[in-house]
Amino acid sequence: MKKFLWPAIAVLYLVVPYALQGNSYLLSLTVSALIVAGIAVAWALLGNLGGMVSFGHAAFFGIGAYSSALLTMKAGWPVLLAMPVAGLFASLSSLAMLPALRLSGPYFALAILAYAHIFRILATEFTSLTNGSGGLSSIPGLPSVSQLDFLAGLGPYLLILTLVLAFCLIYARVRSSYYGIALRAMHDSEDATRVVGVNSVMLKSWMLLLSAFMTGVIGAFNAHIINFLEPDYAFHGSWSVLPIVAAIFGGYRTVTGPMIGAVVIYLLDQLVFKSMLSSGHQIILGIVLAAMILFAPDGLLSLFKKKAPMQKEAEVRHAEA
Amino acid sequence: MLKLEHVTIQFGGLTALKDVSFSMGSEQVVGLVGPNGAGKTTLFNAISGLVKPTAGKVEFDGIELSRKPLYTRARVGIGRTFQIPQPMHELTVRENLIVAQRFGNGRVDHARIDELLEFMDLSAQAGRDAATGLALQELKRLEVAKALATEPKLLLLDEVLAGLETNGKRYFTSKLEELHRKFKIGILIIEHDIETVSTLCDRVVVLNFGQMIADGTPQAVFRDPEVIKSYTGGADVAHA
Amino acid sequence: MSELILQSLYSGALVGGVYALIALGLSLAFGTMRIINLAHGELVLLAAYVAYTVESRFGVNPLLALPFALVVVCICAAVVYFLVSRLKRNRELNSLMLTFALGMILTNGVLMIWSSDIRSTGNAAMQDALQIGNVYSMFSELLFFALSLAVAAALGWWLSRSWYGRAVRAVSSNRDAAKLMGINPAKVELVSFLVAGVLATIAGIAIFSSGVISPPLGHSLTIKAFIITVLAGVGSVPGVVLAAMLLGITEAMTVTLFSSALQELTGMLLFLLVLFVMPNGLFGATKRRG
Repeated sequence: MKKFLWPAIAVLYLVVPYALQGNSYLLSLTVSALIVAGIAVAWALLGNLGGMVSFGHAAFFGIGAYSSALLTMKAGWPVLLAMPVAGLFASLSSLAMLPALRLSGPYFALAILAYAHIFRILATEFTSLTNGSGGLSSIPGLPSVSQLDFLAGLGPYLLILTLVLAFCLIYARVRSSYYGIALRAMHDSEDATRVVGVNSVMLKSWMLLLSAFMTGVIGAFNAHIINFLEPDYAFHGSWSVLPIVAAIFGGYRTVTGPMIGAVVIYLLDQLVFKSMLSSGHQIILGIVLAAMILFAPDGLLSLFKKKAPMQKEAEVRHAEA
Repeated sequence: MLKLEHVTIQFGGLTALKDVSFSMGSEQVVGLVGPNGAGKTTLFNAISGLVKPTAGKVEFDGIELSRKPLYTRARVGIGRTFQIPQPMHELTVRENLIVAQRFGNGRVDHARIDELLEFMDLSAQAGRDAATGLALQELKRLEVAKALATEPKLLLLDEVLAGLETNGKRYFTSKLEELHRKFKIGILIIEHDIETVSTLCDRVVVLNFGQMIADGTPQAVFRDPEVIKSYTGGADVAHA
Repeated sequence: MSELILQSLYSGALVGGVYALIALGLSLAFGTMRIINLAHGELVLLAAYVAYTVESRFGVNPLLALPFALVVVCICAAVVYFLVSRLKRNRELNSLMLTFALGMILTNGVLMIWSSDIRSTGNAAMQDALQIGNVYSMFSELLFFALSLAVAAALGWWLSRSWYGRAVRAVSSNRDAAKLMGINPAKVELVSFLVAGVLATIAGIAIFSSGVISPPLGHSLTIKAFIITVLAGVGSVPGVVLAAMLLGITEAMTVTLFSSALQELTGMLLFLLVLFVMPNGLFGATKRRG
């Protein structure tokens, strides 16, 4: 897998833009797919490393979107500065969810879902700030990359691609670090880790903050692409569900799985399923998710490869903090 | 090094430990004995942080521990094993030690890990999955190795011999002696086997119904009529 | 003002009865299999739409849809059961995602078959206004409230007196011990799912007869049922009924005193409050910490 890495990156940055440049429909689809991919990576980070499955990532997405929109519109901040700060706002909001980390799996998943609903309602009611269901329009777009014609429309693509790859990198680094090893042990044996000195509560909290930050940045990015926001859109359940299907489809225990899964699932959904069943095409997503859970909960690729136990020993010796 | 002052622990209506005061240094191997339910594991839990005392203080190297959360104990120098081994899941044996070292002591020293694996005769099992790939005796050895990896000053051993046959017991008894000599770590050990305790420990503390009823050399303690009564329920026994 | 409050207390309590049935169905599945069936609300939804179809096709009282709805819903419940029982690893979370997916399939299936239009009963008898003192309700609301209480009582009786009911409780509390007693847990789990299906069916017909239905309702009902089980704690039928009425009343009061948009909000806040502050629920004892 590793030896495909640099060629693949080259393809993504050089070949794909060239191929897509004329076709603005496909380009915007790809950008949307990568947006889902970004959330999927963030979700997988929390699910795989943090050990907590979340049904409410839409909360972070929406908060990031609204924060960035408001920072640029009401406070006049430049877009590229507002985006990471919006991510920080999303992280801050996740602090409210820290008590939920003590809950067992299903309860955490649903508690987070409750948060998502709460934030959606708050966004709808807080009209003085968010303009409620009227929404925010004319949100500033991304600054244009350069004057060159051929880059028109490619700016967003390149930015989201970089963001998603950066997230994958962070995911990989944390996973292979000593923190990653401790996090893995915490899934089933948290007490055993605490007895040897692991501050498990803090580690899990960091995963939540990180996941929220990433999702918030993606949400912010989306706001500046669509240039319009309203609560039902920004906090829509799809932002929680699609990344889950994507991450599981691609294998959320791997670094590239969520990203690949997102692109595949999203494009399939938009290009194939939607044309098959215009309303209710989400039913196929449900079928895919159900099938994955039943037959291949570790992702499609896991059906093809299994890791040898001795390999782990060698890899561990190379782990860096 | 370790000092308990008037520690009382109550769970609802049940008093598990009553006004226990006790101290020991890092040069000692102390046995903690008493009938089942006497409060021995509770005492361990209080020292290692799984339980907060209702009253009294637990002090280690001058630091008052009662308020500090569980995970800080390893850093302070308290290592602990569990009666039913609790390996870290989804990790190999080696990874268990790595985590223990990194988070219990601050840095990872692969040479030291190799040394500890060697010492506990686990080198051959280093790559095996800790939760699913080990036999009972190996799991118990891992329990000790894991605790050692945090570079403790005090090692709390909770019935490490339980469930082992004679050879296993002999192995561990000599291992623990070697451990104390080589690593200069204080050991507080809960054990039921009187013979082992007499061999290993220079001092024995007896608990009954949450209270300390004896504290002295094994010879003295096991002849103490109070102690004999607590084990046998009052019948007069000619030999301990 | 106090009349409004009284009215909302009344309406809230009435709808709470139906909520109770839904929540009881959810807790049955949770009790025996330790899984949260996120598709449960969709079973209710399905029953409601079957009632709609029967009413609009044959022009009869939706109550008569009961046998049809029972068949449809119980078959679906059985399918959910069989799929969930196939999960081996990490059942708690995988069942969550699986039932979530199944719920999505059912909701979209309903959407495709019946479209997203809002439906409600056209039956005059059901819609009849009924006045007790100073408070009003639809006839169907009061009817189904009484029916819900009766069914809840019957369920309570069944759980404590009948063989299968006690087997359900045995499996809930200790699966292996139950096996040693000669109880087949698989059969018992299936029974609990089917009973949950029956409860869902009655609730579905109730909701169709007293309100409006549309595809997203399934998901929101599941959430409400879950909130109620958390409020009540697992373990007592009366506890669930009370918690359900509490939720219904809280919702109704929020609509009256504040605005209908905040209705969902109070449910959520109540939910989070109980999760964090009173993990054993208001009435029961359950281990919720991981």
